[in-house]
Amino acid sequence: MSLLNLSLGEFFALFGALSGIVLTLYLLDRSRRRQVVATLRFWNPAEHPPEARNRRRIQQPWSLLLQLLSICLLLLAIAQLQFGSRERSARDHIVILDTSAWMSARTGQITLAGQAKALARAYVRSLPAEDRVMIIRADALPTPATPFESDRARIEQAILDTTPGSAALDLNEALEFTSKVMRTRATRPGEVVFAGAGRIARHDADAGAGMPHIDNLRVLPVTLVAENCGIRKIGLRRSMTADGVWQVFVAVRNYGRAPRQVSLGLRFGGAPAGSRTLALQPDSEQNITFEYKTRAAGWLEARLLDRDDFAADNRAVLELPAMPLLKVAVFSDEPGLLRPVLASNPGVEARFLKTSQYDPGIDAQVVVLDRFRPARMPAAAGTLWIEPPSAGSPVPVRTVVQNAPVISWNSDHQLGAGLHTKDLRLGSAQVFAVSGTDVPIASVEAGPVIVARPGTPKLLVAGFHPMRSGMRYELATPLLFANMLHWMAPEVFRRTEIMAGSVGSVAHEFSADVAASDVTLTGEGQEAIPFTIQGRQLRFFTLTPGIVRLKSPEGEAVYSLTLPEVGETRWEPPKTALHGIPRHFAGLARATDIWPWLAVLGGIGLLAEWLLFGRARRSNFFRRAPARITSLAARLPWITRTRGRPVRKAS
Amino acid sequence: MSAAPLIDRAFLEKLERLTLRWRKSFPGLVGGHNTSRFPGPGQEFFDHRHFHYGDDLRAVNWRAYLRLEKLFLKMFQVEPRVPVRVLLDTSGSMGTGEPSKFVYARRLAAALTYVGLVRLDTICIHPFSSTLGEGMVCSGGRHRFAPVVDFLTGLEARDASHYAPVARQFASTYVQRGLLVILSDFLDDAGCEKPLQSLADCGHELLLIHLWADEDREPPWVGELDLTDVETGEKLEISFDEAARREYTASFDSYARTLQELAVRTGGRYIGLSTAVPFEEAIFGPLIHAGGVV
Repeated sequence: MSLLNLSLGEFFALFGALSGIVLTLYLLDRSRRRQVVATLRFWNPAEHPPEARNRRRIQQPWSLLLQLLSICLLLLAIAQLQFGSRERSARDHIVILDTSAWMSARTGQITLAGQAKALARAYVRSLPAEDRVMIIRADALPTPATPFESDRARIEQAILDTTPGSAALDLNEALEFTSKVMRTRATRPGEVVFAGAGRIARHDADAGAGMPHIDNLRVLPVTLVAENCGIRKIGLRRSMTADGVWQVFVAVRNYGRAPRQVSLGLRFGGAPAGSRTLALQPDSEQNITFEYKTRAAGWLEARLLDRDDFAADNRAVLELPAMPLLKVAVFSDEPGLLRPVLASNPGVEARFLKTSQYDPGIDAQVVVLDRFRPARMPAAAGTLWIEPPSAGSPVPVRTVVQNAPVISWNSDHQLGAGLHTKDLRLGSAQVFAVSGTDVPIASVEAGPVIVARPGTPKLLVAGFHPMRSGMRYELATPLLFANMLHWMAPEVFRRTEIMAGSVGSVAHEFSADVAASDVTLTGEGQEAIPFTIQGRQLRFFTLTPGIVRLKSPEGEAVYSLTLPEVGETRWEPPKTALHGIPRHFAGLARATDIWPWLAVLGGIGLLAEWLLFGRARRSNFFRRAPARITSLAARLPWITRTRGRPVRKAS
Repeated sequence: MSAAPLIDRAFLEKLERLTLRWRKSFPGLVGGHNTSRFPGPGQEFFDHRHFHYGDDLRAVNWRAYLRLEKLFLKMFQVEPRVPVRVLLDTSGSMGTGEPSKFVYARRLAAALTYVGLVRLDTICIHPFSSTLGEGMVCSGGRHRFAPVVDFLTGLEARDASHYAPVARQFASTYVQRGLLVILSDFLDDAGCEKPLQSLADCGHELLLIHLWADEDREPPWVGELDLTDVETGEKLEISFDEAARREYTASFDSYARTLQELAVRTGGRYIGLSTAVPFEEAIFGPLIHAGGVV
């Protein structure tokens, strides 16, 4: 016999307090009432002579006893008195449902998740009704679906609502979380039940000894002898050698135990773009590279053409951005000078026009004015002036030097990065007078000979012609033009790296140290995704499949996280763990709840007291049915013995 | 002081339709409104009798004398003026109950006085408790009602009630017989039957208006009671229950019946009124039904 809601001390304290209140009220109610009346002649009928008797402290002891007994019964009902051993009272269990991506694998007509849910429901139904259960959905993160709950309908609904995610199972995290919950939240710890396939990452399996020890661990395994080959990773980058060519990297893994030959197809915009047949050894991975030439934007899909048990990792999709060309208009009377240096860049589409054909509204992003000053400035985003006429130079010409050696390049600026010349002498060069925001890029002893003016539009003025001076044969010359074009139209030359992977934790390596303030990481809805940077490695975590864009000074990387994360190995539960649905719960002697009966008895007791001794009787409330109550009261001699006897007090 | 605290004007207008009524025949002067069996100086022929020495010769029936050679005297029916006296109990017991019996009694006295004033009756109001208090005589029409209200409003309920000395004082003060209205709870430990009987024997017509509060007839309390008599201060401890209450009520009703029998036996009337009965309903219900007013 035990009390569920109150300790014995609390029960007695409450009962004592209530009894005191009831006794006080009782004594007050039964105490003599002082009343002033018009006359005493009718209160003292002649046929009842005065009779002295001792005043009793408690006039109706059975009324008091009935009240106290009823209150005791009601308190016991509130405290939930139970017959049966407390050892066999309700326990708290935790059911961990595996919701990793692997649980969407099919075996026949049912998925692994369906099997696990059926097992979990069977387990919950086998528990005693008093036991409470918490459902935890576990993939990369453990998420409680219910608190400790005894309502079986809600628990089963939570199980049925569980669906596989896209991440791999982090069992270590799930067991740690479960252990903590069991320690802090459970009233009387029961079993920890794992229902699922238990596919975990290899490093988790290697670190299995470090997993938290769970005493009452039970495993409800779902079985699938899976033969699966899946795309593990897909990446994309521009070819550095060929114009408009994308390099596509695909990693395919065989998770099964038999060697398999699979066909990998590549499609762009629905049209076949390539295919390859792979021979994969068991538990091995193979990388394949495709090259595909297009400047158009579109969807690139890699698909394994063979069916297997787990279809979610047979297809990966990437979004290819357009590969634009930089339009450059050159106004020169000697176009042959600049043609080689501009034509060598595959990302540049150059047009060479006579100075007499000058049009300020020409469709070009960069305009090159070769020893020519137009009447109206061009509307392009950037303008390169080469040896402008001294009278009309956008940057004032201070002097003209002859045979002057170039003594310095501004390597701190993007335009001068990587430029080195040795013993370079300029036959004739204009020296500019810089002011304001002008940045000298190259200088001779007399002053700057190449000046950049940031802003809109961007302006670059060279005081000498690179292709007419001694610099024509320098290696720095094409690099200088590349830097110029890159500075004036950076969006065209921005390096775009596109990678596909699985949801979960993603790491990105930078080639140099990058400040966190220079990095933005956004999801598909342009929402910011939190990240950390340690050294040159950026890490972020996402459980939602989608596209994540990483923008940094090194360029833009697009992560197409559409592949599910699949664990490589199967978790081996400890030998002490129990397996399967328990059968002995049904045989346990359960504690018997009697609080409803106690509550009813308490209520009946109070009602009886009210009818027999209470206001209902005193005020003759039930005038139509008093006979039965009166006759019942008349049978109790202790009630009627001294009633209606007036006593004259000696005054 | 206005009449508003006791009776409102609308109710006074309703009272103007009523008339005080008495059953006995009283001798008196013309001007009343109830026919008397005593002959007097009226207009309507009533009877003949033999002429006696000293009778008014104007009333001799000379036609009968010429025919029979005997003197017969004509007698006429009269509606005499009869004095109406109202005895208002102002003992301490009248102050008990909710609403107070004393307030109820004062309103009843005011209403009966107004009815009499409207009919040009002469009303004498006497408060009493252990002795007969100083009375107030009012007559002459409804415009004399305001002093009555002031008089009644100034009364207080106190002292113990003793009917015997009151009856003696009244009998010695008022020799002329008339209607005697007594508004009281008739709670006198010495008993009020004999004094009332003596007043009736003096020739007064008794109209006993017995007032009680509900708690006087059926006390609502149960359990152990420590009772105090409001008039004498005497105490009584009693264990009171339903059976005792029934016994109490029976005793009270028996006493009320005794009063009623006394009134009927002496040619008077008895009206028992609970203060729970609305005042207007009491006037136009039991009072008219018993013939106190018509």
